[in-house]
Amino acid sequence: MPKPTPEPPSLQDDLRRLEDIVRRLEAEDADLDAALVLFEEGVVRLRAARERLSEAEARVKKVVEQADGSLGLVDLEG
Amino acid sequence: MTLPSLFGDGELPEELSVAELNRRARDAVEGEFGGAVFVRGELVEFKIWRSGHWYFTLRDADASVRCMLWKQQAAGVLKRHGQPPSDGMEVLVRGRPSLWEEKGEYRLTASDIIPTELLGAKAQELERVRAALTADGLLDPARKRSLPPFARRIAVVTSPDGAALRDIIIVARNRWSAVEIVVVGAQVQGEGAATSLARALGLVNRIDGVELCIVGRGGGAKGDLDAFNAEQVCRALAAVRVPTISAVGHETDVSLSDLVADARAATPSAAAEMAVPDGAAVVQRVDGFGVRLAAGLRRRTRVAEERLVRTGDRLQGALARLIEARRSRVERVAAQLDALSPLRVLARGYSVAQDDDGRVLSHAADFSSGRPFRLRVSDGTVPARAE
Repeated sequence: MPKPTPEPPSLQDDLRRLEDIVRRLEAEDADLDAALVLFEEGVVRLRAARERLSEAEARVKKVVEQADGSLGLVDLEG
Repeated sequence: MTLPSLFGDGELPEELSVAELNRRARDAVEGEFGGAVFVRGELVEFKIWRSGHWYFTLRDADASVRCMLWKQQAAGVLKRHGQPPSDGMEVLVRGRPSLWEEKGEYRLTASDIIPTELLGAKAQELERVRAALTADGLLDPARKRSLPPFARRIAVVTSPDGAALRDIIIVARNRWSAVEIVVVGAQVQGEGAATSLARALGLVNRIDGVELCIVGRGGGAKGDLDAFNAEQVCRALAAVRVPTISAVGHETDVSLSDLVADARAATPSAAAEMAVPDGAAVVQRVDGFGVRLAAGLRRRTRVAEERLVRTGDRLQGALARLIEARRSRVERVAAQLDALSPLRVLARGYSVAQDDDGRVLSHAADFSSGRPFRLRVSDGTVPARAE
């Protein structure tokens, strides 16, 4: 059995939750109050997902080992 | 005289012609093995017949088997290994166990003869490492982890100056912006490469927030992939705490690192494609959620309004105020929807390239030279053409 991947990133969480929300919103049995609550959460999740998608261009860094043995990251022109 | 009287009473075996017997024996032999096998042994009684076919016997301490190799295959063996084998040579024979029906002789029909000395120390080492990794379960497909769909920080273990790194960066950037690539430099070929790679893989576990690791190099001569077959590299790769992709840059040769990694990519570019999602597809998915959210809510409110209208006459003032409150809440959230519309994104200065059928062109490969397309901007569409 495949081992689970580590802590899911939040974009993944947002997309999963959005999928869940629209399914429930599209289902026949949600009442209006519940629908509004779902919708409002959906808007928040949607905004968070869009913000993540419009983040700055992919960054490239390089690992460097410091004199004391610790690791540092420096920008790499790529 | 009848058969029963000759052989006495009891169950009668079926009667076969010699040809039938041999045909069925051949089917049984070939069916048992189902294809080619490798057999190791000492080659003796080697003889090239006038027909050009090769005949020899393969034996070990316990048994021997007659072998033959067709003339057509012999040419290939000479081409690959330089000279015909000679008696006493230890060889690995690739062939299909079969039976020569005319003579009723069981034999191995060979397709290749490889002198084991040519297999060399390198191959023996490869087999030793493979056996050691297998014994520790590191090649077990069941231990493969699935790759995270949206890794935010990806470690890339490769040569800092190599084409592999450049390819990974270009492909990843073209697909997905929300990622940070952390290069962990390593020597990928030549003396000391295995130690360097193993050490770099060890560093990956010490970098905060890494969610995925790519290890690889560009294509090259087969000998150059040795480091990726080294035991210390395979073990260091297995010890990486996050899912791993091996991209050793060789379509045909599979390295042991490829087998240890959670996923294998044929090239570094393919590894980058596995590592990050296609941004255009994700944006489309998110836009789809926006549309479905709005449609879902609209339908809900319509149903509720119809119900209220039907029972409206009987409503008391307090209830009417409650409805009003709900209505204004609907209007408030509906206004938020507008902000999520794709058109608002265009208003910020972005544009979308589409073909004549309205399909979104999101990859460089979509723009062949001279191809006309339409550029959708915030207030209309501009005809355009790729240079």
